[in-house]
Amino acid sequence: MPRSGVRSSLRPLFGGACWCLPSRRSSLNWGSPKRWWWRRSRSRSAASSWRWRSPLAWAVGTWPESCSNAAFTVRRKRRSGTRSLICSGPGCGVRMTVCRLLGLSLLVTSLVVAVGCAREETVTHEKGTVELVFAHFKVPSPEALTGLIEAFEQQNPGVEVIEEVLPTSTDQQHQFYVTALEGRSATFDVFALDVIWIQEFARAGWLMDLTRRLGTDGLTGFLPGPVEASTYKDRIYALPWFVNAGILYFRKDLLSKYGFAPPRTFKELSRQAKIILDSEQDPDLKGFVWQGKQYEGLICVALEFIHGNGGRVLDGRDSALRDARAVEAVRFMRDLVAVDKVSPAFVTSADEEATRHLFGAGRAIFMRNWPYALTLYDREGSTMRGRVGIATLPSFEGYHSAPTLGGWLLGVNRFSAHPDLAWKLAEFLTSQEAQKVLAMRLGFPPARDALYHDAELNRTNPFILPLYEAMRRARPRPVTPFYLMISQLLQPEFSAAIMGVKSPEQALDDASRLIEHVLKLEVE
Amino acid sequence: MRGDRAFLMILPASLMIGVIAIFPIVHAFRISLDRRMPVFGISYFVGVDNYRFLLQDSRFWQSFLNTAYFSLLSVSLELITGLILAILLHRSFRGRGLFRALVLIPWAVPTVVSARMWEWILNSEFGVLNYLLQQIGLLSAPLNWLGDRTLAMFALILADVWKTSPFAAIILLAGLQMIPEELYEAARVDGAGEWQIFRRITAPLLLPFMVIALLFRTLDAFRIFDLAYVLTGGGPASTTESLSLYAYTLLFQTLQFGYGSTVAVATFLAVLLLSAVYIVVFRRQRHG
Repeated sequence: MPRSGVRSSLRPLFGGACWCLPSRRSSLNWGSPKRWWWRRSRSRSAASSWRWRSPLAWAVGTWPESCSNAAFTVRRKRRSGTRSLICSGPGCGVRMTVCRLLGLSLLVTSLVVAVGCAREETVTHEKGTVELVFAHFKVPSPEALTGLIEAFEQQNPGVEVIEEVLPTSTDQQHQFYVTALEGRSATFDVFALDVIWIQEFARAGWLMDLTRRLGTDGLTGFLPGPVEASTYKDRIYALPWFVNAGILYFRKDLLSKYGFAPPRTFKELSRQAKIILDSEQDPDLKGFVWQGKQYEGLICVALEFIHGNGGRVLDGRDSALRDARAVEAVRFMRDLVAVDKVSPAFVTSADEEATRHLFGAGRAIFMRNWPYALTLYDREGSTMRGRVGIATLPSFEGYHSAPTLGGWLLGVNRFSAHPDLAWKLAEFLTSQEAQKVLAMRLGFPPARDALYHDAELNRTNPFILPLYEAMRRARPRPVTPFYLMISQLLQPEFSAAIMGVKSPEQALDDASRLIEHVLKLEVE
Repeated sequence: MRGDRAFLMILPASLMIGVIAIFPIVHAFRISLDRRMPVFGISYFVGVDNYRFLLQDSRFWQSFLNTAYFSLLSVSLELITGLILAILLHRSFRGRGLFRALVLIPWAVPTVVSARMWEWILNSEFGVLNYLLQQIGLLSAPLNWLGDRTLAMFALILADVWKTSPFAAIILLAGLQMIPEELYEAARVDGAGEWQIFRRITAPLLLPFMVIALLFRTLDAFRIFDLAYVLTGGGPASTTESLSLYAYTLLFQTLQFGYGSTVAVATFLAVLLLSAVYIVVFRRQRHG
């Protein structure tokens, strides 16, 4: 059920920018008749005030269908300790409170209940305090981030930063932002953006243009990959927060047993793996594992092969995938599984975790994965402790390694009520000092070049420096507002190619036609 | 004035149904005639263009066939296993209550959880299924359940049968318990064998319940989303992509509200047609 269409057509009925997630200003004007339920709700949590909302708006807003499968984001106020739930289900964005959830269940049996339930109001202005909302995904240990935010609050008296924690799934976060920003929501000021969303959001006009504020220096000092990802039509729309890139994991013990150095090319990797597999004669040992399930991860891996062979996906508004270099790269991937048996058939259904477990059990010689696995292997009690080596991903002969860029950037909501303060917060959180703290405490690879050579950081976190080459070489996925559509078109085609369902030529030709169809949709 | 008051009485319920059931359907149909991608500032009427595109969209037809194949196979298997379970549970033996509760557990587990569980059971390297099959000598090498284009669909069906057979069993068990014991006694007195009893008494009297189970399960299976989403993500090479999964991808991942609605409407029409067929067949069964 396409909810957003429903919403846009109902909008005139209820007035305001968006009835689903009202902007701060419009919702403040809604008035608050003091009814018994209003008082009761208020006494339950003294810190937030409650407002009345028209019953019909409430009933439509609480569409049970759209929230049934949803994950909820939790908005937490550190000072008062209050929490509220926000539905981030497909096409939703409804703020849920105990009162509404109760009402929702009664609604099914009777319409009467719907008359006037309360709605939480997002802003409470203690005298002179400005509240900034920072929306981000759940970080592994939140104390580091909270510490940074407290430091920001101390530097800027009168500002309280509220963290809004979104579900871990990237898809759900994307849905949440799209729904909210479609309705020009100002309920968050600064938010974390996946590298692949920037173009789409910038084109939609949801991100504040940061070019002028950055001044003449622009994004100097940041790594090239995230800078490219944050630029849309020569304007900068986001600040790189931390980066991620695919790296090669290898069994240090096995490689040194056979006197091999970490491979520089994919052919060399394949050769080394074959030799080791032949000599070890261990049926449980696999050569090279990577993510080949039909999902976003497959795109990341396939692009590493294609970019690492001098190919690319887009050439202006045309697809560049019919190019022989791209075809050769995809054929190589298929042959790893089908012909050379260096990669087990298992990879065609594997995601990051499945490969991480296999390698972690000591059952693979090489693995392509993100750096997150590193700290997990280094844990006390891990069988792989001390046996894992990492290297920059190989490439094809004559080309540079081209790991796929991942990572997050901070953007400022174009509709924010406090653009200056929001900018300040984003700038603070992406500063050298902040990125250093995040790297030391959470192991997030910094987006600033200089930090990789920071002596203190390298002492506390020895994994940072070996990642430098990979992070510097990291290449974004096709930088276009239509990336998510292109990714969805490519996933089944790449999957078909590595499964041998289609020949690489056929799969890439089919993909090219679909991509060109999508890119023609753009109406300037 | 009684008629008037009756109208007033059903008004709230009709209004509710109108708001929560009919309006969205009509609205989805309306949007399916648009090219609408709000994120890209695209929104205009294209008439039946989307439907024309749908007819030649190979991914749509593939997901349609996937869904039909999945529904057919999983529902038939579920009814068979459900019937066997129901017959077993109908007999009286020690610990029957406990056994009945145990059988229901798969049905109580949320689909996403059971999908995650099966993902690990079927994992080609660590999966317990491959291990067991190898232990008893049925397999010499592990099978790539989720990464093989033919096996992946079977894996999906297996997980669905495991999960929903208890549901069929419960409906059929209720049916079995409605059959009066005297009929069986009379048949035995007349010297009927077990198979004759099943064919002449149990089967015909259970038929209405079979039809109900069939109806519920087919409509449910035709909308399969969560199991495929978690277990295979539609892969490999889109061989397990269901209609709902395709519609979800279009609507919420690539934000094509127009064409996504077209696929959703097509799914809705298919389900509607299916239920219509069932109802007609069921009527004829009852009257004929």
